[in-house]
Amino acid sequence: MATDESRLIDEARAGSVSAFTELVEAYKLRLLRFLLTRCTSHADAEDALQDTFVNAWRYLDSYDARWRFSTWLYRIAVNNAARLNSPVTEPADDIVDDRGDPLAACIAESERENLWLSARRLLSDEVYAAMWLRYVEDMSIRDVASVLDRSNTWTKVNLHRGRQVLDAELNKPSAKEQKAYG
Amino acid sequence: MDKLAKALRDDAARIDVKVSAELDRRLHASIENAPSPAARKKAVRKPATSIKWASALTGVALAATVIFVVNFDQPQAPAAVVPPLQTVTGVLPRLNTETAVFTAPLTEELENLEADLRKAERAVKREIGLGL
Repeated sequence: MATDESRLIDEARAGSVSAFTELVEAYKLRLLRFLLTRCTSHADAEDALQDTFVNAWRYLDSYDARWRFSTWLYRIAVNNAARLNSPVTEPADDIVDDRGDPLAACIAESERENLWLSARRLLSDEVYAAMWLRYVEDMSIRDVASVLDRSNTWTKVNLHRGRQVLDAELNKPSAKEQKAYG
Repeated sequence: MDKLAKALRDDAARIDVKVSAELDRRLHASIENAPSPAARKKAVRKPATSIKWASALTGVALAATVIFVVNFDQPQAPAAVVPPLQTVTGVLPRLNTETAVFTAPLTEELENLEADLRKAERAVKREIGLGL
């Protein structure tokens, strides 16, 4: 798969739109899921996704093959999401996202709260992203640190803290259990 | 995989995300309209060549300007005005003069010195008793 990916990257670098489109197909769902957890609205997440792929296409020649392609792509995505969430970026008044919390809207009701919803409530944006990249995208500490532009030590320490917080949340008795046992 | 890692992975999978057909269209259209990496590389190179030429031409123009300004500002040496010889000779006095004799006083001085010398010689001889 990695060979396929590097072949597609080489072809895309030479100007092949179809090769890049294959890369887009491979990553768009994963990236959109991640961006939904980073943006305040569904529309922003979609805009960030579009900007991420356009930037990746334009600057593909600056991609360093020593890093995983996903690491590079996620780094662009994190920057785009941060730009959209920045207070400098004025929200457009005429666009109202009536779907509410984009992440909650995509999660079906279940017995316990989805851990990612809890994570967003309990962790800072950066620690949240670090947890996502480590446990959902299966990135190494070094790759997570690179995406977030942080040191390996910072990443290790904050992943540990994030784990502690979410572990406590996971082992907390549910509302139903609390009611049943008083 | 520990319990928390598994729960995080499972919960991420429960986030139901779909890329709408409209978003798909937008994605493809924006990629097709954006310049390709190869085209971008060329576009980046182009100004580099023109900048090279522009800087070379600017350098030549600057050098020419400096040479012109330096030579233009240099004060010109006044051209020598040589009057015709006839007008000059008409004004100059005649230079036919007698040769001056400057040797007479020196000869006189020399004679005085010789006389002094002889006097001194006589005094010395008298002193040492060579007799007169």
